[in-house]
Amino acid sequence: MNLQAETSNNRPWLMGVRESIPLLGGYIPVAISFGLIAVQSGFSSWEAVAISVLIYAGASQFLFVAMVASGAPLWFVVVMTLLINARHVIYGPNLVPWLTGSRWWPWLMHGLTDQIFALAHTRLPQLAPDERVGWFFGSSLLAWFSWIGGTALGAVAGKELTQQWPLFAEVMPFALPALFLVLLAPRFTSRLWSLALGSTVVVALVFSLNGMTNAAIPVAAIAGAVVFFGLGALK
Amino acid sequence: MDTGLASELGTGMGVDLWAALIAAAIGTYLMRALPLVWMRRHLLRRSTKNTLEAMPTWLSVLGPLMIAAMFGVSLVPSKLSLASGLATVFGVLVTMVVWEKTRSLGWPVLAGVAVYGVVIFLASFLV
Repeated sequence: MNLQAETSNNRPWLMGVRESIPLLGGYIPVAISFGLIAVQSGFSSWEAVAISVLIYAGASQFLFVAMVASGAPLWFVVVMTLLINARHVIYGPNLVPWLTGSRWWPWLMHGLTDQIFALAHTRLPQLAPDERVGWFFGSSLLAWFSWIGGTALGAVAGKELTQQWPLFAEVMPFALPALFLVLLAPRFTSRLWSLALGSTVVVALVFSLNGMTNAAIPVAAIAGAVVFFGLGALK
Repeated sequence: MDTGLASELGTGMGVDLWAALIAAAIGTYLMRALPLVWMRRHLLRRSTKNTLEAMPTWLSVLGPLMIAAMFGVSLVPSKLSLASGLATVFGVLVTMVVWEKTRSLGWPVLAGVAVYGVVIFLASFLV
């Protein structure tokens, strides 16, 4: 990704669209596998697309579909879906220093995903204030549409794809850990962070291997926080 | 995964399931938008620009840890086998190497999925 600051010759929204193109490589495979898994779990194609339009958050959508398919109580499905997205609360406040006075910002936050946050956190400070809303609009809209389009493709062509290439459904979901790994890699910035993140991954992995997938995320994150603050206090 | 409620879904989502979907969607949106609105007001009241210091430390620490936890969970393949284990190891390694080279989001994911697929494909001939 070339994130050099540019002059304002281009329309800002177009600049946003162009700069979020690298995100599609991560979004479309995951969205296809979501569409496929949703249909395999008993949802119709339109319902799978509706989930991607309305919730628009990868891991929690997989969780939503899997929990509904397993017959979990719906209130618990909603609570877990929100819990897995709880990290999103830290993104908005971190972008505030570069927000303009536009009333659009709160509405644009539907598009505030992990990847858009990472991109915006780097790019917004480099843009002129009057370009920022347009840039965010363009980049987040392309990402959202690619997620919806990928879901539709996975849902509609899912059965044919799995019949023609049975390994497809087995392979595509790997896009999810690969995506999380890429988001995580730049955060190993010190020994303290490496230990905290490493222990979180291990705890989550152990819980998940033992079938406790739902508890794995909050428990592992809390375990990582204990390591972070515990080791930090020893220094 | 065609079990229980899933087979009922074949006739379309019921009202209660739509309500759950909309509740999850509104909740997710509010979690993205409200902290931003709150922080804007907070800064206006304080007339400060130092947002990062105004953030509680535990909140900024918990963000990356949640992603780490999701990574750990997602590493477990749907079908546990030697082939899927090996594919996961190679997929992770290649994703890391391509990320080191490109520092981008898209290419490492594509490369990781491709290698994961190749290992699973090759293993299907051996088993």
